[in-house]
Amino acid sequence: MANFFPRWTNWLPLKIMICGIVIVTALVGATWYYDTPKYTRVGYMPTQPVPFPHDLHVTQLGMDCRYCHGYVEVAAHSNVPDTQVCMNCHTQVQKDNPKLQPVRDSWTTGQPVPWVQIHRTPDYVYYNHAAHVNRGISCFSCHGEVNHMPVVYHAKPHGMAWCLECHRAPENFLRPEDQITNLNWKPDDVNPAAFVAKYGQPQGVKEDWSTKKHISQREIGLTLKQRWDVNPPTNCQGCHR
Amino acid sequence: MKRVFQHPPEGLTGKRYWRSLGELSDTPEFREWLEREFPAGAAEIAGDEVSRRSFLKLMGASMALAGFGLTSCRKPEMHLVPFTKSAEWVIPGKFLYYATAMPRRYGALPLVATTVDGRPIKIEGNPLHPDSNGATDAFAQASVLDLYDPSRSQRFVQERKLSDRATFEKYIADLRTRLAANGGAGLA
Repeated sequence: MANFFPRWTNWLPLKIMICGIVIVTALVGATWYYDTPKYTRVGYMPTQPVPFPHDLHVTQLGMDCRYCHGYVEVAAHSNVPDTQVCMNCHTQVQKDNPKLQPVRDSWTTGQPVPWVQIHRTPDYVYYNHAAHVNRGISCFSCHGEVNHMPVVYHAKPHGMAWCLECHRAPENFLRPEDQITNLNWKPDDVNPAAFVAKYGQPQGVKEDWSTKKHISQREIGLTLKQRWDVNPPTNCQGCHR
Repeated sequence: MKRVFQHPPEGLTGKRYWRSLGELSDTPEFREWLEREFPAGAAEIAGDEVSRRSFLKLMGASMALAGFGLTSCRKPEMHLVPFTKSAEWVIPGKFLYYATAMPRRYGALPLVATTVDGRPIKIEGNPLHPDSNGATDAFAQASVLDLYDPSRSQRFVQERKLSDRATFEKYIADLRTRLAANGGAGLA
């Protein structure tokens, strides 16, 4: 019983170690890349019980976001519209369209339409819609170009790092408060003279911005941040109450 | 790498090792019992000695993979279910205040009720009313629990008999006309 182990077992510890390192690295790398909100959430496009096209209603018909999502300016959570809101128009418009049958059924029977939820912050996050919407953060910043979506999908990652991108530098995302629901707004649309007339420019800036040809997002944001005293919390208790 | 045991062939010395007394005796009854208990060829499905074992291994592995990987990794579908017809002024989760009054022996006590989703949660005095300047007593504060009293009637009852809304409304309408006619005589 002298040479109990065959010769090839001499290499086993080294082989096991190398294999282990490779496997662990692969697992870590895969988790790092795939287990982030950017991969798991973006692109989520579930089928809704009613094929409601935002592009038709917002872009073609020109409806404002707040007609249906009315609580967004007054409450912490935003809402999906009641059947009554849909029937405000659809008792007359497209009365017999079969795509609207679930809405009509809901109206007659009183059973609500079970919309599938797409955007959801985890329960340990405290998010307040009104605090953002009333301070110059557009629907576009967090929900993407909903006005061009025939079916709504999750356009932005909504992870904490993504939230902090704005919370640490809100000037990159602020816009005039009347442009919040204008999802096509670009900083180029702003007339610098009109902007400075209405909002002024940040203190300490010597250059006169009303004479500029174009005003950038950052400049707009800095003006509004100072004017409205926008100080988004970057400490943990700001959102994890 | 499976170690295959190569047993040496049966000895030529004539010694035959038996594993049970039945095998030693080697009677026809024993041989019949052996046949029934251990049918020849039962361990092989297709003639291959290890196929049943490998089949079981494969099934176990695939079951483990299926249970572990695929069923609970998808995002669960959650629903947003709004009202069909929402109540006026109610925003879910936001407080709604109603100015009201509580009838007392000496008159009405002005109150402001805080409601959430249609459910009152707090009674406070109405500070704008000159009668009380917002004061309430313990009875008024406790009266919020009256609204959740389980012995509150949940049905229309008339003279200890079950009634319905239509009868009640008719009764009230008659009462109203009667009291309008005689100027409220007989009311407390």
